[in-house]
Amino acid sequence: MRIFKKLILQLSLTIISIILISGLPDLIMNKDVSLYRDKITAVFTAVIKLNEMTYFNQGKERLFMGDIWEPYLYSLTILFGALIIAFCIAQLLTWCTLMLPLFIRRVVKNLLTFLESLPDLLVFALVQMGIVFIYKKTGILISNVASLGADDRIYFVPIACLMILPLVYFYKMMILLAEEELQKQYVETSLAKGLRRIYVLIVHVTRNTSEGIFHFSKSVLWFMISNLLLVEIIFNIHGLTHYMYHDFRPEMLAACLILLVIPFFLVYALFEWIITHFTRRGEAI
Amino acid sequence: MIRSFKFWIGCSILFGLIASSFIFAIFFDSEVRQVQLLYDENKNLIGAAPFDPSLMFPLGTDRLGYDISHKILQGAKFTLLAAITTGVFRVLLSFIVAIPLAFYMPDKVRKSFDQLLSSFYFIPLTIVAVFILSPILNEQIDAQGNPYFIYSFIERIGLEVVILTLLVVPLLGSMIGNMMASVLKEDFIDGAHLLGASRWRIFRKHVMPHLLPKLIIVWCQQCVQVLIIFVHLGYLKLFFGGTDIDFSPFMADPPKSLSNEWSGLVGDYYTLIQANPSIALGPIIMFGIAIYSFQLMGEGFQQHIQTRHVKRGKKAKPRSKNNTVTVGKTPFEFLQNRGA
Repeated sequence: MRIFKKLILQLSLTIISIILISGLPDLIMNKDVSLYRDKITAVFTAVIKLNEMTYFNQGKERLFMGDIWEPYLYSLTILFGALIIAFCIAQLLTWCTLMLPLFIRRVVKNLLTFLESLPDLLVFALVQMGIVFIYKKTGILISNVASLGADDRIYFVPIACLMILPLVYFYKMMILLAEEELQKQYVETSLAKGLRRIYVLIVHVTRNTSEGIFHFSKSVLWFMISNLLLVEIIFNIHGLTHYMYHDFRPEMLAACLILLVIPFFLVYALFEWIITHFTRRGEAI
Repeated sequence: MIRSFKFWIGCSILFGLIASSFIFAIFFDSEVRQVQLLYDENKNLIGAAPFDPSLMFPLGTDRLGYDISHKILQGAKFTLLAAITTGVFRVLLSFIVAIPLAFYMPDKVRKSFDQLLSSFYFIPLTIVAVFILSPILNEQIDAQGNPYFIYSFIERIGLEVVILTLLVVPLLGSMIGNMMASVLKEDFIDGAHLLGASRWRIFRKHVMPHLLPKLIIVWCQQCVQVLIIFVHLGYLKLFFGGTDIDFSPFMADPPKSLSNEWSGLVGDYYTLIQANPSIALGPIIMFGIAIYSFQLMGEGFQQHIQTRHVKRGKKAKPRSKNNTVTVGKTPFEFLQNRGA
């Protein structure tokens, strides 16, 4: 029950801050606080009566809720897909890496620092160019590099673009946390007891680092939502942020961001509940 | 003295870029070389702009023949200094916010405050920054058709730095507050309390020495983040210090940056990605280099903190010579000599 109350509070704070932010450009342009207040109330009523909100598409005024579901689900598929794939691959790679000798691990870490500092735009450009290059050389088109319209869905390219950098971030963070964890006493004890190293790694170390990774994944997600905007614009994908960017009014921004936030919020609340539920056993010392 | 190799590499790259940018501005008046047609010794035409990267043009030239490496050199000081100052402001302001959070609030209040602030994790920074900054940075057009900016050049830069700072203060503040609170929980703080130290003394003598190195690492990370946002804003045609938009109805020039700073170059040249990818990627790669050097600085500094109390100079000698008695390849061998 307490968790539920906290959840409601957090969610409403997020929504309120989104609404407050959405009024800011008017404040900056007109330098007038009363106009800002009016704008915020307007946005607020628009968000509450979401099913009556309209937006402009190719010069026509259309009902927002009627059109938004498909792109919304499409964007969510891309985001969730990229996040989950990046997480799984990073976890597998971490297990493999930690079985390797120390000097290879050091090389891997240095390489990861380098990969981590690639700007995301460069990654997108390289993926785009890579697909064109492969097509030119072999004639095999792995995937369309741009979507042609609202009905044309591409999944491979956007997910690949979105997952590369989170994969690197997760991988590095997992290695760092797991190495820290491996120095603890219980690992030594279990190894001395004769448990296999891979068993200790997968069962004990992963479970104990999961909380840190979970908190870290929030900032990865934060980064990914920003990237979604760029990916949708570069590859001409008609997802949620594409709609938002083409009709950049405060109401639109607030509505789209709130829609985008809610599923992640629920998923994270669920995970947080699971983690606190499962790690509480170990804390009773 | 910091002995980390990585730290000094990162530091020298950044310092080199900024210093050469200033030298270029002072001694060469930031004059960008323009070569539209290229002839060999016999006055035969061998090429026309845009040139791909070569020894003569390290990063190529754009369509009008301007040398991109010169442009990058000219813009380096704006971009890097902006990133550094924004990073400093972010850390300083969050630090100031964090002090009352860690010192005057009971643990429970701080925890719940922390939970509340973590709702900011769901507000994507680039989208909000694009949204807020577009009226500031884009040139507007008035009723007579004259382009104008709402704010002056200095105000625009100031506002951009302030907005990019304020958007992260809630998250960063609670993070630094947690760092501070974890220092305050250490045993030696209790000792200091018992000896009668005031809050100010504990802050100055006990918390600060622990916190300062961590703050420097946080600063490096924030600079990286600011640079990434600059790339995003540049792609979306919002340039640092204002975007000059040509409103003429016929053959409008593409939006251009006012000062050749890097995010402007990214935005300008990204459209060339299919025709001349090597030109389009140049500015983005420069961003990558800058980000990498900040990362190296952060990582090197972290190594320095972890090893600063380790005495160097005399390397630990092999323990004793008795260990190195080789047994040779005999069917019989002592296992302990192999360290098994």
